[in-house]
Amino acid sequence: MMGTRELHKIAVIGAGMMGRSIATRCSQAGLSVVVREVTPERATEVREMLERDLEHEIGRWGLTSPEKKAILSRILFTTDTRAILGCDLVIETIHEDFTAKRNLLAELDALLDPATPVIVNTSTLSITELAQGLANPERVLGMHFLYPVTTTRVVEVVKGQVTSDDAFDAARQFARILAKVPIQEFESPGFVTTRVAMPLVNEAAHVVMEGVASAAEVDLAIKLAYQFRHGPLEWADRVGLHRIVNWLDHLFRETGDAKFRPCPLLRKLVRAGHTGTRVGRGFFTYDAQRHRLDRLPDDTPRLS
Amino acid sequence: MKVLVLNCGSSSVKFQVIETSLELIETNSDRTLARGAVEKIGLSDSRLTLEVPGRKPYQEIAEILEHRAAIEHVLRVLVHATHGVLTHVSEIDAVGHRVVHGGERFASSVLITPEVESMIEDCVVLAPLHNPHNLRGIEAARSLLGDVPQVAVFDTAFHQSMPPAAFIYGLPYELYTRHHIRRYGFHGTSHRFVSIRTGKLLGRPLEELRIITCHLGNGCSMNAISGGHSLDTSMGFTPLEGLLMGTRSGDIDPAVIPWVMAMEEITLSQLNAMLNKHSGIYGVSGISSDLRDIEAACAAGNPRAQLALDMFCYRIKKYIGAYAAAMGSLDAVTFTGGIGENSVVTRERSLSGFEFLGLELDHEANRSVPKGAEVVISRPTSRVVALVIPTNEERVIARDTVRVLGGVMPSFAVPGNEAPR
Repeated sequence: MMGTRELHKIAVIGAGMMGRSIATRCSQAGLSVVVREVTPERATEVREMLERDLEHEIGRWGLTSPEKKAILSRILFTTDTRAILGCDLVIETIHEDFTAKRNLLAELDALLDPATPVIVNTSTLSITELAQGLANPERVLGMHFLYPVTTTRVVEVVKGQVTSDDAFDAARQFARILAKVPIQEFESPGFVTTRVAMPLVNEAAHVVMEGVASAAEVDLAIKLAYQFRHGPLEWADRVGLHRIVNWLDHLFRETGDAKFRPCPLLRKLVRAGHTGTRVGRGFFTYDAQRHRLDRLPDDTPRLS
Repeated sequence: MKVLVLNCGSSSVKFQVIETSLELIETNSDRTLARGAVEKIGLSDSRLTLEVPGRKPYQEIAEILEHRAAIEHVLRVLVHATHGVLTHVSEIDAVGHRVVHGGERFASSVLITPEVESMIEDCVVLAPLHNPHNLRGIEAARSLLGDVPQVAVFDTAFHQSMPPAAFIYGLPYELYTRHHIRRYGFHGTSHRFVSIRTGKLLGRPLEELRIITCHLGNGCSMNAISGGHSLDTSMGFTPLEGLLMGTRSGDIDPAVIPWVMAMEEITLSQLNAMLNKHSGIYGVSGISSDLRDIEAACAAGNPRAQLALDMFCYRIKKYIGAYAAAMGSLDAVTFTGGIGENSVVTRERSLSGFEFLGLELDHEANRSVPKGAEVVISRPTSRVVALVIPTNEERVIARDTVRVLGGVMPSFAVPGNEAPR
């Protein structure tokens, strides 16, 4: 059975989209959260962004104003590294860059009690490689959360080659506190969710590039055929096509398998800056609230 | 005897120490020695409050991380030399717990045994947000107080007397046999208390009375009580059914649900939050879930506040009519709960036009209900008596604890009212 470690206070390092979403979910679960950012301006900015995220969810009836207040009351936004001392678990969500993550891990390793697990939120980087050379590499493991963390029911918990059972158990316990199903995995490029989803997106892009069907029709076909919430191309737009291309590049490099070679159409869109919902344009077009503007007439909700 | 009453929620523990006994119950002279709460459990600034009649309220802020620690704090403050009311925890003779859901397994308050605990555990699936915390409170009290007897008092038990025609839904019967989907009803402790008080005030035995009780608070439910038995109640499988409430929709056409999910492309959890937290008086008015704010907005001429109030009172009126018909006669309508006890306009509006049933409201009496008093608000000539009776669920829990330990706790089940298997 899992350990009986006390988990009351956790730290989130870096509050991008993913970090904010993780912080929100942790606070909703009743944990105290310390969010560390690099500058006071950035700390204020991410707090405001988080408030906007929560307002949006209120608009979707998923949250109430008092709940928003309660969520914010449990999150401390700070630049002070000392604030993370005393946290029961630290999770980093800075950008997907090997050197940056490695430097951060070294800093945390020197700072924290050796028993405190340090979780790397990554979908591609090697946990083992990142932890190499630390004084306590066994405390490092990976957790791959999927966006939005507030609603997805799953998280990948990834064991590196030297990760201790204790740290791994703590992460699984953490997942359960967040009401998520922890999928236990050993380190491997793309883990499970990214590795399985990428060929689908890539193939859909190839089908469009070959002119077999329009992007909208390819997407609608897959969405309706398999009862997906979004088709693979709209999903890719929502993730960000630059991310998709990075992941494919990475998987291709690591495995040498041609099925991961990014479709040229994906690269073309990224080079044009059409990276998806955040810029309003990718395979499809979107408004500022990320609602898709060019749905086909058949792409409407139906009861039967 | 001194009973510690505990109501354990997700992040709070409410408590009272009540001095009661079979004799004191008979004379309605049991009394509360202390009451209070621990709030924000799990946070570093949890707050414990204690009120002792005749003293200034006491408060402390501390880091209280779970229920056991919360109850430990409560016991410590209860025996505190200056703030407390006990000299030693051994003065606590019994503990009474509020337990939200007893499913079909409990038709009465019961002594907590390991077997009872596992049956409460079985009901977790029916009340996942409440029963686990109630169970945690039971475990904590046991570990802190040793073998002091503990009693569970269920919100649902009183309604176990309902006949199948009132509690089975018009759905495929397998949903009942497989998943226990049926109407359970809630607020049973409160409805039972005010119906008993109604009988006492009328000076008539409960057995011959047909009473409608309206518990109008944060959640709202009504109860048709015939001869002391719950015959029908407005809440169902969950506390969402029935009346319009602060933030809950109450009755709607169930076909609205898949429709809204498809049109708005929302998830189950968003839908659930919509019905429970964004609907009702708040959802319709767009102003507030608090009826006092709505009454103020009505006075200022806000049309949607007016609509919300109209809907709220209209639905109460509809249920009064329905329950009078279900019982075939009516002797009393009793209001309780924060709104029921305090909102003049709610009582006035929902009781208007019932002269044909023999109910004549005394507008003057309705307007001048003293806080905390049990009063009649119908005219002396009114055949049906309307009353306001403040509820006191903690007192019922303490009383049931005494009754269970004294071996005089009746079952609410009515033989012959079981649904076919």
